[in-house]
Amino acid sequence: MTRLVLVRREQVLKGGQPLAFLIGLVFAMLIGVVLLLISGHDPLAIYGRMVEASLGSPRAWSITLNRAVPLGLAGLAVAVAGSMGLWNIGAEGQILAGAMMAAWVARLGEGWASPLLITAMLVAAVVGGALLASGPAVARAQIGVNEIITTLMLNEVALRLLQWLIHGSWKDPESHGFPLAPMLPDEARLPGLFERAHWGVVIALGVIALFGLVASRTSWGYELRVAGSSGATARYAGISLKRKITTVLILSGGIAGLAGGIELSGNADRITEGISAGYGFAGIIVAALALLRPSGVAAVALLFGAVQVGGLSIQTMGVSSSVSTILQAFILFGAIGAGVFSRYAVRRVKNDKTDNQS
Amino acid sequence: MIGLLSATVSFAALLYLAALGELIAEKSGILNLGVEGMMAIGAVTGFMVALETNNPWIAFLAAIVATAVFALLHGLFTVVLGAEQVVSGLSLTILGVGLAAFLGKGAVGRPPGAVLAPVDWGPLSDIPWVGTVFFSQSPVVYFAVLAGVAVSLLLTHTSVGLALRGAGESASTVDAAGYSVTAIRLAAVAFGGAMAGASGAYLTLSLTPQWAEGLTAGRGWIAVALVIFGAWRPGRAAVGAVLFGGLLALKTRLQTFGVDLSPILLSMLPYLLTIAVLIVISIRARNRPSAAPAALGQAYRREER
Repeated sequence: MTRLVLVRREQVLKGGQPLAFLIGLVFAMLIGVVLLLISGHDPLAIYGRMVEASLGSPRAWSITLNRAVPLGLAGLAVAVAGSMGLWNIGAEGQILAGAMMAAWVARLGEGWASPLLITAMLVAAVVGGALLASGPAVARAQIGVNEIITTLMLNEVALRLLQWLIHGSWKDPESHGFPLAPMLPDEARLPGLFERAHWGVVIALGVIALFGLVASRTSWGYELRVAGSSGATARYAGISLKRKITTVLILSGGIAGLAGGIELSGNADRITEGISAGYGFAGIIVAALALLRPSGVAAVALLFGAVQVGGLSIQTMGVSSSVSTILQAFILFGAIGAGVFSRYAVRRVKNDKTDNQS
Repeated sequence: MIGLLSATVSFAALLYLAALGELIAEKSGILNLGVEGMMAIGAVTGFMVALETNNPWIAFLAAIVATAVFALLHGLFTVVLGAEQVVSGLSLTILGVGLAAFLGKGAVGRPPGAVLAPVDWGPLSDIPWVGTVFFSQSPVVYFAVLAGVAVSLLLTHTSVGLALRGAGESASTVDAAGYSVTAIRLAAVAFGGAMAGASGAYLTLSLTPQWAEGLTAGRGWIAVALVIFGAWRPGRAAVGAVLFGGLLALKTRLQTFGVDLSPILLSMLPYLLTIAVLIVISIRARNRPSAAPAALGQAYRREER
């Protein structure tokens, strides 16, 4: 009797990941076709509309780019932590913390000149995200508390803090009793780039490129990778693991926080509970698909931005926007499945009894 | 007051069901962060099948089976293909919430096709207070109690339980003892899905009973928290379930008691308490074996043993 097993390849297949990603995309679209057919829609018309709305014109591109900004930054936040083997599952909460801090600065800085106010808001956003991540960072570095769980729990805490503010002291007296924060002043809005796109696109690209350079060209980035691949080696090399863990997680939180600040200043009229439309969680998928590489993060974020914008556009055709959520998840599952085969080969082995009992 | 206690028991059962499933999965070494998505699948399946069949029991069973199959997607990727558990689990949540919204679109706002009516325990149900709080609950509540006892006995008193715990502590040892780690872990993940499905169906067949997008409202995350709060023990998780369930029940009733505390701030407590417990567990783990399964989160490949 023979059975199939996965055997690690000596070398990862070259170009395996982009190929796996493509396979994932095709796989997800096929599943989408089935779902749409079952629910009585014309898949071709729906997909056509999605592409048209997300990539069909300069205006469509500008909306997609805006959407890619929080996805890319959240993806980078996860990738930064991931480069050291840490999981920041708290990007969603850190985005909210960043947006809250930015909104708070916008309240304080009434009447400030626009460049000053926006800069202060974005800096505050970074601080907010970093603050929320600092607890898990210190707990992980000093006591070894699992950062997956702490960052995950703080998502829910941050969301409730935001709800509390919106229902309480931040409630607009002119909102007729609705739990709404007041509108942001015009000075707090990020300037436009082209069509609907705002300067956040440039900032996000800059941050992603900067981290890509730092990670690949500096000794700090090198130490990070050493520490990520082997704690023992890092200790021999005199790298302080505790400090690295703390810095990396706080940095990761700061990047996610920046996404919240940009989202508020660039895309929103006011801060709401829904200011992060699941970007923090989608960012984990983005980072995973990009194999934690900054260049990959930017590319995947752009594609996910297009899928999400496309998903929103088909609501007018009577299709739930959750189609885009489903597609994103299946892209990942398809890519994981395909990705396994770039690292592992399928071999047939003889399955004798002694093997079972060994 | 009696409404508060009764709601505490209901919410505790809701959280406990999902937490028991996650506990078994984690005990076998598989972290499944897809509980929120699995609950959504269970909730929508239960509601839709009830609309079709008008039979609450068929609906409840269908939710359990459908969610177990759904959970096996996580099993396929993490157990068979060895993918990163955190990524696969979160994708399962995203997929589950999305699929539930997609499938349930036509059911939003519709009255339930059937509900699991409270069990009538005869004279027991007529006892003042106790009867209302404990003996007028949905059958799912008693199912949760039985499941808790069963899981507890399974883990501590059976060879299956021993093998399951072994898979989460030292997979190669269990493998050497002649058990299939893959089979154990797949079964544990499927069980986790089944229980999350039961929990979700309890929402749409008893507690709410309606379907709306986002109905699970983060309760799946509380269930994940509960496993840690209970230090991976069914008994302690039950205590935590009553505590967290009480907080959920209290949330909507604070004003009636004239307490000047925002219910929103109160709802942070389960998460903050869980973080506190995790810190205590981590500090204690310095001097003795940790409460967490040692191989939690690690893929097992026999050929790389």
